[in-house]
Amino acid sequence: MSRWSPYDLNGGTCIAIGGEGYCIVAASTRLSTGFSILTADKSMILEVNDKCLIASAGFDGDRSQLHKVLTFRSENYEHFHKKPMSCPAMAQMLGNTLYYKRFFPYYTFNLCAGLDDQGRGCVYTYDAIGSHERVGYSCQGSGKDLVQPVLDNQLKAPSILELPPKVAVTSLSQAEAIETVKIAFSAASERDIYTGDAVEIFILTPEHGVQKEILPLRRD
Amino acid sequence: MAVSSWRMDVPGLDGKCGQASRAAADLALGQDALLTNAEVTQANFPLPAVQNLDHFGKKVEDLVKPDHGTTTLGFIFKNGVIIAVDSRASQGSYVSSQTVKKVIEINPYLLGTMAGGAADCAFWQRNLGMQCRMFELKNKKRITVCAASKMLANTMYSYKGMGLSMGSMVAGWDPSGPAIYYVDSDGQRTKGTIFSVGSGSLYAYGVLDQGYKWDMDIETAVELGQRAIYHAQFRDAVSGGTCSVYHITQSGWVKLRGNNHYDLHYQYYPDGHATSANSVI
Amino acid sequence: MSISTYNGAAIIAMSGKDCVAIGCDLRLGIQNQTLATDFKKVYKIHDRLYLGLAGLATDALTLNQRFQFKHNMYKLREERNMNPATFAHMVSKTLYEKRFGPYFVEPVIAGIDDDGTPYITGMDSLGAMETSKDFMVAGTAPNSLWGVCESFYRPNLGPEELFETISQCLLSGVDRDALSGWGAVVYVIAKDKSFVKTLKGRMD
Repeated sequence: MSRWSPYDLNGGTCIAIGGEGYCIVAASTRLSTGFSILTADKSMILEVNDKCLIASAGFDGDRSQLHKVLTFRSENYEHFHKKPMSCPAMAQMLGNTLYYKRFFPYYTFNLCAGLDDQGRGCVYTYDAIGSHERVGYSCQGSGKDLVQPVLDNQLKAPSILELPPKVAVTSLSQAEAIETVKIAFSAASERDIYTGDAVEIFILTPEHGVQKEILPLRRD
Repeated sequence: MAVSSWRMDVPGLDGKCGQASRAAADLALGQDALLTNAEVTQANFPLPAVQNLDHFGKKVEDLVKPDHGTTTLGFIFKNGVIIAVDSRASQGSYVSSQTVKKVIEINPYLLGTMAGGAADCAFWQRNLGMQCRMFELKNKKRITVCAASKMLANTMYSYKGMGLSMGSMVAGWDPSGPAIYYVDSDGQRTKGTIFSVGSGSLYAYGVLDQGYKWDMDIETAVELGQRAIYHAQFRDAVSGGTCSVYHITQSGWVKLRGNNHYDLHYQYYPDGHATSANSVI
Repeated sequence: MSISTYNGAAIIAMSGKDCVAIGCDLRLGIQNQTLATDFKKVYKIHDRLYLGLAGLATDALTLNQRFQFKHNMYKLREERNMNPATFAHMVSKTLYEKRFGPYFVEPVIAGIDDDGTPYITGMDSLGAMETSKDFMVAGTAPNSLWGVCESFYRPNLGPEELFETISQCLLSGVDRDALSGWGAVVYVIAKDKSFVKTLKGRMD
């Protein structure tokens, strides 16, 4: 008999791309355990507000608890400060929330993405215990090693660490970035058994707020 | 901004941490710092209800695969302090990032470097930044490198045996001159003039020891730091990305270099590098 | 530590219109230490047939010598080159002979028939063959390579376009793997025009 574990791995892949004046967050909707599919229609994206989204792959139990905690804290913030929490503030708080569970981690792999104060897309990528970094694009979850090199190839921008400083935001237009996300998810669903059924794509712009689109993927 | 987002975590910081070593940590900082330190570093980290925490910790580490792998170096010379670092984070053999900022700018006169677990380093050095600021506000003077590094070492010592992973250099300039301290998650703290930390540190030491001279000019020292990191990135699979070089003087730190390894390689070796093996065609 | 990730490798084979391409990275390492950056993992069997061997380098070198020997013997007997499919079955058989003490390699075979028809196959270390009509990968980061190949591959490419595609796939794929990279080499095999090119890659 195998020993009970507080963790499970439910699979799923998420991608976020931040561009000049837009941000795209996408996640697959399949929820699996082992070789079985639990449901084909489970969202792993939390809409914190119209400037900030959080996508979490990994263990769905921890994901749901984490999202509950984050929702509570962001609502609290709104009541205290009379304004919605900005994406960079949320990003730091998510980092701390994860680190405070350093010795009993949330088994979740997160992306925090949205628009910053200048209306530019911003993406933060995390490890399970709260190490985070602002990047131009990122992906997490079971298909991350399939998808990340594809994004690197299509979106690569100079590093923010370079001197003299260079523009470290992708030059891709919103439409091109959405197309890249779709190609990447189709590729991931071909080779990763935990990615499939559908992908929900959220598009954030300063003009139109949050828009949502659903792309069906392979169902086998 | 930093303070306001920290306030968000006050509920998490309220708890009592009943560790005996905390008293020793506070004592070392003197009466004034006692209150500060108790306020800001006591956190309530929930633990799993398991018999063997070590075993659980190891299993979780396999599961969550925190970011690892680094080369960092620092040395003191006639014209100040040089700090140079790579920028790669890996999870096993997967390169999870090429753009990690491994130098933490604690204040305009103090730098910290990251090696080991990325989350452990980033969190506790941010925490150190806050402790240093608190010290400044209470004592109306800047904290010394000696005291700052000791605060970090004390924090690390109070979590000894809990599985934290950090190998850090705290470097800066204070009234007594330039200083570098090596601090790690075992609680060790050493003062020195040349350090290199991380998986690629041995390669960096090779270059550093060969080229180091006390009375170098700044340009030579910066080049030496960059060269040492470059070679470590070349030989060590889990070091790479960009090479950043910082210089610290009595007027504070400045970042002088930030070069992609790709550009560096083809600048240093435009006609290829002499790494041959018994290749069969 | 896994023995198949001891040295590090990345190999991709792709088929186009009457042509195939096969490429590999150039790193030879011992775990995290890079020893050499000119270690080719693709071996020429004859003008229209190449063999890529990912996995433990010592086994790859030995196996290559055995295949060269076997192919020479075949040529002496038959006075012709081996057909890619024939060669693949020979590789498979040779690996299965060591079923209970295997060579720690993953072969990828790419070639064209006499009439120019592409042939691509991959195997596990025991010789279980998987022929493919589009592409095949092997190495220490197969997922990175699968991802880029699935995204960028298009059927019926000519030799030049095929070279561009496989090069992009190889370079992007190895940049997310710590154990492979440090440059790459690509062989394109077509009926009338074959060529080899060395690619500049990241050296970290």
